[in-house]
Formats: sequence, C-alpha cells, structure tokens
Amino acid sequence: MNKVYTSLILVFGLVVLWTIYLTNVKEDENLTVRYYTIKELTMEDKSITKVKVGGLIKPNSIDINESNRLEVWFYVYQGEDSLKVYYNGTRPDLFKDDAEVVVSGEFNNDLITATELQTKCASRYEGDLKNINST
Amino acid sequence: MVSQIGSLALSIASGLILSTFFFLIYYRLTKDKLFIDLSERSMIATCLSIILATICLLNELLISNFNLQYVAQYTSYETPMFYKVTSLWAGQAGSLLFWTFIMSIYTLIYIFFTLNKIKALKYHSYFIFAIIFGFFLILSNFIANPFEPVSPDIIVQNGNGLNPLLQNVTMAIHPPILYLGFIGTTILFVMTLAALIMDEINYQWIKSIRSWALIVWTFLSAGIILGGYWAYQELGWGGYWAWDPVENSSLMPWFLLTAFIHSSIIQEKRGMLKTWNVLLASLTYIFVILGTFITRSGIISSVHSFTAESLGPLFFAFLCTLILLTFFWFFKHYHLLVSEEKIKSFTSREGGFLYNNLILITMCFIVLWGTLFPIISEAWSGEKIHIGQNYFNQLNVPIGIFLLFLMGVGPLLSWKKTSNSTLISNFKIPMIASFIMGSLYMIFTDGFRFYPFVALLGIVFTLTAISIEFKKSFDSHYSKNPSFFKAIFNLLSHNRHKNGGYIVHIGITLLFVGFVGRAFEAEKEFVLSPGEQIYFANHVFRLNSVTSEARDNHYAFISNMDVIDESNAYITTLYPEKRIYFYWNPDPEKRQPHSELDIHSTMNKDIYSVFSSYDPEKNEAYFKIMINPLVNWVWIGGIMIVLGSLFAFWPSSRRD
Repeated sequence: MNKVYTSLILVFGLVVLWTIYLTNVKEDENLTVRYYTIKELTMEDKSITKVKVGGLIKPNSIDINESNRLEVWFYVYQGEDSLKVYYNGTRPDLFKDDAEVVVSGEFNNDLITATELQTKCASRYEGDLKNINST
Repeated sequence: MVSQIGSLALSIASGLILSTFFFLIYYRLTKDKLFIDLSERSMIATCLSIILATICLLNELLISNFNLQYVAQYTSYETPMFYKVTSLWAGQAGSLLFWTFIMSIYTLIYIFFTLNKIKALKYHSYFIFAIIFGFFLILSNFIANPFEPVSPDIIVQNGNGLNPLLQNVTMAIHPPILYLGFIGTTILFVMTLAALIMDEINYQWIKSIRSWALIVWTFLSAGIILGGYWAYQELGWGGYWAWDPVENSSLMPWFLLTAFIHSSIIQEKRGMLKTWNVLLASLTYIFVILGTFITRSGIISSVHSFTAESLGPLFFAFLCTLILLTFFWFFKHYHLLVSEEKIKSFTSREGGFLYNNLILITMCFIVLWGTLFPIISEAWSGEKIHIGQNYFNQLNVPIGIFLLFLMGVGPLLSWKKTSNSTLISNFKIPMIASFIMGSLYMIFTDGFRFYPFVALLGIVFTLTAISIEFKKSFDSHYSKNPSFFKAIFNLLSHNRHKNGGYIVHIGITLLFVGFVGRAFEAEKEFVLSPGEQIYFANHVFRLNSVTSEARDNHYAFISNMDVIDESNAYITTLYPEKRIYFYWNPDPEKRQPHSELDIHSTMNKDIYSVFSSYDPEKNEAYFKIMINPLVNWVWIGGIMIVLGSLFAFWPSSRRD
C-alpha cells in the first residue's frame, strides 16, 4: 500500500481510537450522561450530578408556581415508580399530563433538578383512538 | 369504496412483486428474454398499483373518511385542506406508504431512463428492487396498513386533527423533500449492487450514477436544511441542530453521499477508487435504512422517534440482509475492482479529494458512534450512557474547520502532483486575505475565541480561493471574446459540474459563517406586565400590551413588544403569540398550547422571541428572548447549496 493511503488510514484509526478513549475509557462527564430508570434512582441515596431519565408525566402532578410561572414541579413515572422533578424555564408546548418526557439534571434527595426538559417531538405525533371523539 | 380500492391496490402490488420474482427465476432457468420483459412489466405494474393506493389514501384524507383509523388519527373536519394532504406522511402507516410511493416514482424513472441505456443491469436491478419493494409492501399490508378501518363498535364523529406544530409550511414540505433524498439512495444501491454483480463498474456506470447521486444529494441537503429551518422557526429553543439520533440519521448518509460525489470524480477522470465508490454508494443506502431502523424501532431514545416498536425487528432483518448482500458481492468481486493506478502525491487534486473523503468518513464515524453509544455502552458495561451535544461539537467542530480549509485548498491543487512553486503562487493571495481577516478580528472583537477565529480564517481563505478560480475562468473566456457579459455567460454555461461544485462550496462556507455566530448567542427568560421593560444584551424590550383573539382553529394571546437599541433608537415591534389549539374542546386534556414565535431577522443578527406563558389574572407575560448572530447566513448558505447542486446537475452543452 502506498504512503498516501497508509497515512489516511492511520489518521482515521487515530480518530477512532481517540473517540473510543473519550467515551469508553475516560468517560468524560462533559460528554456523556448516564440514563437511569426511575426505579434505580428511587433506590439511590446519594446525590448524582448528571442524570437522564425518561418517563410519562403523572396526571394531576403538574404544580406551577403562581408567583413565577416558569417554575414547575411535577412527577415523572415509569410503571409503578415515580420521581419528583423541578424545572425553571420555558416548558415545551407538548408538556402536559401523560406526555412522554426526557429530563436531564442533578439528582439529590429524591428530586431531580432539571436543566433540560424535552417532550416527544411533534413530527412523530402518534395520536391514538382513545383520543378520538366517539360515541 | 375508494378505501377498498386503495387496500386492494396495495394487496395487488404485493402479488405483482411476487410474480416479478417468479419471472426472474424463470428467466434465470430458461434464459428466455420474454421473462425479463414480463418481470419489467410486473415491476412497472407494482409501482403503478402503489401510486394508485397512495392516491386513494389521499382522497380519503381529503374527504375526511373517519372510518379509516389513519384518517381519524391525523385529521379532523377543522384541519385545513393543505394539512390534510400533508397528514399523508404525518404518521407511521401513511409515511411508510408515502415512502413506497416515492420509491415507485424513482423506480419508474430508473427503468425508463437509466436501464434503457445500461441494459446489462436489468435482471439484477429488478431482483434487488423486488427484495426492497417486497419488504416495504409486507410492512404496509400487514404491520402498518393505512387502510385499516376503525373498530366496528366505534362511530367517529370527528378525528384527532393534525398536531399544531406540524401545521407549518416548512414542516409540510420538509419530510417529502427529505424522503426524496433518503429514498433516492435506493437507486444508488440497486445500481451499484447490480453493476457489482455484473462487473459493470465502468465509465458508463459512474457517469450515470453520478447524475443520480447529485439529484439525491440536492434533496437530502435541502431536506436537512429545511428541518433545521422548521426547528428554528417553530420549536422555540432558538437553535436548528441538536444532534438528536433522528437528526443524526439524516446526516450520516449525507456525509457518505458527499464523500461519494467527490471520490466519483476521481473514478470518472482517472479510473481509480472503484472499490471505495462501490462501498460509499452502497453504504449510503444502508445508513438510510439504519437511520430508519433507529427512528422506527424505539431502540434509541429520541425525542423524534415513532412509538410503534413492532417494526424494529423487521427493519433490523432488512438491514442485515442489505449488509450481507453488499459485502458478499463486494468480497466476491473485489479483484475486479482493484485499479492499477494509485494516488502517489499528498499535494495532488486526487489527494485533496481523498482528504475530503477521510474527513467526511471520520465525521460519519463520530456521529455513528455517538448515536449508537447508548446501545454500545449498555452492551459493554450494562449502563446506558447518553452522549451529549458537547461530544459531537468537541469532536466535529475542529474536523469541520479542517474541511472548510480543504474546500479552499482543493481547487488550488493540480492533478497528479502540485509543484512547490505552484503551491506557493496559488496559496499566496488566500493566505494574505486570511491574515488580514485574522488581524481585523483581533482588533475589533473583545476576548479571543479560538474556534470562531480559525473558522473565520477558513471562511476567508476558501472564499478567496474559489473567487480566484472563477477569476481565472473568466479571464480565459474574456481573452477569447473580450465582452464582459459574454465571458460571464460562457463561464456559467461551460463546465457546469465544476462551477456548480464551487457554488455549493460557497454555500457551505456561508453555513460556517452562521455556525460561527452560535459562539456569540445570548439568551434571557423574564416576566413583564404591560408598560414594563427590561434591558438585555444592549437592547431594551418594552411590553406594550397583551391582547386576545379567537381565530378559526385556535385562540391566541398576542403580545406587543417594542425593541429599542442602546442609543434609544426604535428597532422593531415583536408580536410573539401564545395559542391554544382545539380550545373549543370541553376536555382541557385535548386543548393544545402552542407558542408562535416572532423573529426580527437581519443579516447581522436575529432577535428571537418566545411567548412562554401568560397569567391573565395578574396580567403577567413570560418571555424567552435570544439574540442569535448571523443565523440568516445558514439559510442563505443552504439556498446556495441547493442552487449550486442543481446547476451542477444541469446537463452541459455538447461542446463540454
């Protein structure tokens, strides 16, 4: 193999190794965040600086601060397990009871202080027949 | 009645694709040309049946036939006619039929225009098409049938209606354009695999597939940029790219196809890199299916992904089939693809194309690794680890800047080898221009930021290098015919591939101008009552009023906010709205709030306003304001990319 091809393959190999090192070996906190299930977090007694959790918003659990409407508390649940979340910021439009959300933030004392709150994207809005007006 | 015809057409299409298989097997056994003609007709009839089924579904959406589950789920009597059309691709079943519909149109064009010229590829093309169509027809007939009726014990009075976020013109055209890009890669795959099996990876193949690749690339690029534009205009988080798995799924094939478009030039000019081109063209489609698998399987958590998970195993099996087919024939015929000639110099035009390929493949790997990392980490350590935006930015930004410089370096290199004197003479002016830009940046900006600084140098370097190339072409035409307009006309009408490519490169450079702006964004969330104001990022935001209005399909709270600059000069009035769709519904669950943004957009910066929330009792309005510098350059760059690509695709005159 000539020197041009060898050099290019070498450079590609180095980038691949560097990528794997950053994510798998170094486990850089700025780059990665671990997914937890709600059950795992409810059993956790120490605080964790970065967590990511997905689930549904527990019906009737949304509590908006009347004096600062950007502040909200709600419960996110998966099956039987639920966890309280605090978020201060603009909420996505699809944020409502039973909406599917992904929250990222700090976990401490059974509370997630979320810095990021996402709902399922509207481009994949899957209505179901239970929502259809029917007689 | 029409829905029955549509359902029947889908079933007939399955039967026809099965008969295509039988005719092809008969041809294989008997070598009777009649059967290859029959398989062709059967293939064409399959496509026509699918087109008929799609028209039937569209008809049912337009007349609001709520006896069909799909129509009831995605439309209502209130849904405007235009969005009834777009709801064709709003859900799983409709979008799968729409996918097959576009594939049918592409297939018909391929049969009538490409296979008529390269007849040797007919048999294998039909065979591969039959596998692909077979797969999608199984999905549409048995897994996600858009003609599925609602349960007989339910009488639907009105449908769900289309999500308000999708009731936007950009969102209406973004999916079909992206689909045109995604599905167009099917042709690249079929053509490559058929040519690989038949040992037809030759000059005619590369000329023909390059035209297909250019048009597919144009749609893919336009689709990705429109997706970003929609997110920016509609979603209210102020950005256009979030490195979400679904976004990444469209970016990976784009990287591969871009690499293919560049490396195919080397095969066309010098007959080299056949193995590489075969891999790139095939992998582009494989990555499209991988992306579709990610989107529709639920294997990776994404804010975009479809909820139905039953498609996952089927897509996975299809993906494995494609990979096995490709690599089986690749290794079997590898010896037929190896070229005698090799690229020997680092400073050659061919070398430049190879660096481009290296960078694009590296970026594709980084995105693939980051996208699949939750699965990889779970398999590796049992813990599901999410990769954040920092990972993608930290790794891709420096590589992207390198690519930016390379777009300027490439045109300055000669084929085979560039001599040192040519290197110095060609690089001199772009280097000086970058140096001047760097000095101006240091003088006029507060605080040094490395990446924006280097990116600005790259932007100026590349734009100067491309301008020099255009100047050289202009001078050459002018010397033959000393008329300014004639020289411009000749410049544009000759060598469209090359000039179109340069226009695309200018477009990508302009995208980088927009990317640099992201480093200087500012954001604030605050609450105001009418008459109050707030100072932020050298602007005063004064809320004049909040009014309300009942409209056809929503109720709106409309804010009226003046923006004044630091010298007390009026800039604009913003009218962001908080809307409640389906507000007439007695069940609050079914009402859908939606923030309609207002953006004051200039070439310099955007003032981006979101009306987050409103408390009518206290008369307090909550806002998010962002100052986003240079965003418009992203859209201008996107338009130039599409125009340049179309220009390159446009056939050259015979003299070329």
